Amino acid sequence: MWKNAGIALLLLVLLMMATGCQLTQPAFTRTVGNAGSAFAAAETTLSYAHEGKITYAYASSSFVNYQSELEGLDQSLPSLQGAPSKQTVQHLLDLYKPAIQAVDAPCLNQSCNWRAQVASLNRASKAFLEAGGS
Amino acid sequence: MKKWFSITLGIVTATGGFLDAGTVATSGEAGAKFGLGLIWAVLLATVAVILLVEMIGRFTALSQKTYADAIRENFGFKFYLLPLISGIIAESLLLAAEIGGIAIALSLFTGISWHYLFPVAALLVWILSWRAPFSLIENGPALLGLITLSFLVGIVVLGGPPRELLPTLWKPDIKQGELADYLFLVAAILGATISPYLLYFYSSGAREEKWSRDSLLLNRVTAIVGMSFGSLGSISLLVLGAIVLRPLNISSSTLGELGLAMAKPLGPLGAYLFAGALFATCLGAALEVMLGVSYNIAQGFGWEWGENKKPVEAARFNLVLTIILLVAVAIGLFGTDPLQLALLASTVIALFLPISLTPFLFIMNDPDYLGDHTNGRFANIAIICVLIIAFIVAVIALPLEILTGGG
Repeated sequence: MWKNAGIALLLLVLLMMATGCQLTQPAFTRTVGNAGSAFAAAETTLSYAHEGKITYAYASSSFVNYQSELEGLDQSLPSLQGAPSKQTVQHLLDLYKPAIQAVDAPCLNQSCNWRAQVASLNRASKAFLEAGGS
Repeated sequence: MKKWFSITLGIVTATGGFLDAGTVATSGEAGAKFGLGLIWAVLLATVAVILLVEMIGRFTALSQKTYADAIRENFGFKFYLLPLISGIIAESLLLAAEIGGIAIALSLFTGISWHYLFPVAALLVWILSWRAPFSLIENGPALLGLITLSFLVGIVVLGGPPRELLPTLWKPDIKQGELADYLFLVAAILGATISPYLLYFYSSGAREEKWSRDSLLLNRVTAIVGMSFGSLGSISLLVLGAIVLRPLNISSSTLGELGLAMAKPLGPLGAYLFAGALFATCLGAALEVMLGVSYNIAQGFGWEWGENKKPVEAARFNLVLTIILLVAVAIGLFGTDPLQLALLASTVIALFLPISLTPFLFIMNDPDYLGDHTNGRFANIAIICVLIIAFIVAVIALPLEILTGGG
């Protein structure tokens, strides 16, 4: 009985490996989807910080993690498997630049233009999520 | 009455063993990505872990032996090395993740990068494990773990799940190409919850508290209440992720993102309550993992052990505590995100789960240990079901980790 169960499980694994492309998304779709989600989180964090829903310390700590998640994306994006046209990739990269600047140096006081940063994060988030199929 | 305070053993086991960095991560991500569609996996894991904890508590109370003792006695030293080595590999990763989780929680309070706070977190864990008596290790994280009840308050303030979210409970919203992510989260939830270290810790804790035949009812209540408490926290996080993060397209891929779900209903207090809960659960888990591994090694090799003994009275047990912490610190210093480490640890635990759980079926039916309290038919069927789940999860966990890149 155990032998049969083992064979059945092995076949299941092989089937999963063989049909991996259908089970999961191409690397490009997955990566831009994750980036879109990270930009959305950064946008919400910045908004919440200025609306008084979280402290600046909390936001500052969160942005360290967003940086780790998003850094280097401009280098890897064009070469990812499943990448669409060059124009689409370039459009995403154009939106990535101001958004990553906001992630790297978020405006966490009243003396800088945090609304502009929220807007660029929002644009990047929407474009990346759309490219990721969300 | 004092004996019934021992129920904290269940709550601390749940605070560290059920709820930890891995469970917090997988619950939040599950809710953010698939709505309520993975609550069934948390419930399944809860039932499995209640059964296992009740059985190991019953075994220890009646036989006055720990799980590690029983494996070595029944299956020999060579077999015992299998769960031991697999446990050391998986739990070193997990300990690094838990210390990272503590560092992130401290970082959310202070705004200082968690990378700088990692050594502080490791030092805190070492001091507590080295100097604190078992009662403090039990009661401290258990009391702090009550903060997780604030997740329920958050859900209530938000008005509960909106009506359009409810169908995801029985019909998960799995988009094209997301099936592997869904299955990976199922495996990760089961792997993060049904952790062998939890059994070694609970079994050794029962010995530290000198449980006997009189403790059987206490054990049953502890297993059910403690694990249900952990499950409640996990499901609450999942629901918060589904209500708040999903509509914002936030997938909860970093631990701090889940705090936003608490900040929406409760403001900065909510975010801090989340950070406090993360601190408590990761601290409880770190202590539990360290002690679980050290108990396992000391008991397997027949050394003196016990958290209530002075370090000099159980020198090798305490030396192992320090060494396992140093290994985890070395892993953590590579700078890998604790959440990714926690998911990897869950996969590795899932991979080795059958090795740690198979002995259950044999020892729980041995009247030499349990007298007339051996497993009945229902308990045996249940443990076979848990083993089948463990085998399936073990087989699919690694391919899914590779396919999805860890969620």
